[in-house]
Amino acid sequence: MEQVTEKKDTYTPKEISATRRIIGDRGEYFLRSVEGETMANISACYQCERCTNACPVSIYMNINPHQVIRYVQLGWREELLRSTTIWVCLSCEMCTTYCPNDVDVAKTVNHLRNMAFRSTVPPAEKVLAVFHETFVKELQRFGRVNEFWLVGSLNSHPDVLKEKIKTGALKEELFLGLELLKKGKLKLIPHRSKEMKKIRDICLKETRGTI
Amino acid sequence: MNLAFYPGCSLEGMANDYARSIIAVFEKLDVGLVEIDDWTCCGATAAHSLSDAMSVVLPAKNLAAAEKMGLDIVSPCANCFNRLTYSRKMLSKNIYDVPWNVTGKSKVHDMTRFLAQPDMISQIKDNVLMPLKGLNLVSYYGCQMVRPPRITGFTDYENPRTMDHIAEALGANALDWSYKATCCGASIGLGRRDIQLTLSARLIQKARQTGAEAIIVSCPLCQANLDMVQTEKGSQKVPIFYFTELMRLAFEGKACSIKNFRMHLTDPGPLLRKKALID
Repeated sequence: MEQVTEKKDTYTPKEISATRRIIGDRGEYFLRSVEGETMANISACYQCERCTNACPVSIYMNINPHQVIRYVQLGWREELLRSTTIWVCLSCEMCTTYCPNDVDVAKTVNHLRNMAFRSTVPPAEKVLAVFHETFVKELQRFGRVNEFWLVGSLNSHPDVLKEKIKTGALKEELFLGLELLKKGKLKLIPHRSKEMKKIRDICLKETRGTI
Repeated sequence: MNLAFYPGCSLEGMANDYARSIIAVFEKLDVGLVEIDDWTCCGATAAHSLSDAMSVVLPAKNLAAAEKMGLDIVSPCANCFNRLTYSRKMLSKNIYDVPWNVTGKSKVHDMTRFLAQPDMISQIKDNVLMPLKGLNLVSYYGCQMVRPPRITGFTDYENPRTMDHIAEALGANALDWSYKATCCGASIGLGRRDIQLTLSARLIQKARQTGAEAIIVSCPLCQANLDMVQTEKGSQKVPIFYFTELMRLAFEGKACSIKNFRMHLTDPGPLLRKKALID
């Protein structure tokens, strides 16, 4: 017991190399705040990796779901907000359902996504981040979301347009859109709700006017 | 018996054939559907991605409207069902400020589970005019309808059987497969099409390996994804039906026209003609 306290006293930040991070270098503040807001039982994780094995898109992530939980325990906020994980996640809830220790992984990832929207960290998957924002923007416009207006509004966003022209996705989407129009699957004139003011107030309050 | 019908945004646009088949099917059953007046979007995945509170408060408007009608809600869309149920559960904790009057007395039903109740199944069996004999199909549930079980209340979330029971009541042959609740990629196709194609194409391939000639779904987004992936070159063709479309076919028999299936990207005509289910 005495040895441990001695070690702590002699320990100085200079001895740590730049590439190595100390465990819990933010105290436990980040873990406690995320756990408190999500009630996700994060400290119970023992890294069995069952969430990662269940995840259908873990190969497209740079931080795997089990690592996300570990990073939260360590308080590595910036790494998490910069990751592709929080944008690629489909909210399919496989991780949460199969966790043997009742850790709500999907809710944790979703909470990190909420944090990323409010932070200044640029999203790793720009188009997916813009998609979520556009969806809520369309919701604020009419109260119901119309697919034709949603995709139109998404593709007219300058960053998305540039990206989609570069990858050739825009051309594919135009042809697909034409096919859908021929089949009568697109409703061109949206329905407008009568209680738009209340809906706009909710969206404005929750997004804090960021979109 | 009456139910408040919450169609959801997709059923106005991409899935308006689903909406039409639901109305046609419920006319034959002993259940009345009353559409919720001036319903609004539940917020889908985007609302909870931006703010968890928004995903609780936005669906509350529809819960309040159903309470005013004094009816339980039935939702055909898997994601709408999930969001409404989540909202109803969270509202009981009284932590969010809601501009509408909600007490939580209206229950939210998922359409497949509502129709798979024993008394509804017997009603369906009574109404079948033309059994769908020899049609081998697999049912695909997707994520949002079954998971997470503590929200949706599915006890058999690994092997849901609701649509299989309905298909069997119609006389079709519902096959067992392991991909009933594996994700199809949802809305990720608008940003990362490569991920969505991989996930959806795998489902089509596994359905073919099981020996299915068609897939039945209840989620409008799953239908769109699985149908659209087949427009890719070299893809196998498997018609993707909404389960109510097949119910309508069995209920109406030869009177059901091929025009009811015109909105499918993969034409189900050849399969239905081969099985002599349509002229």
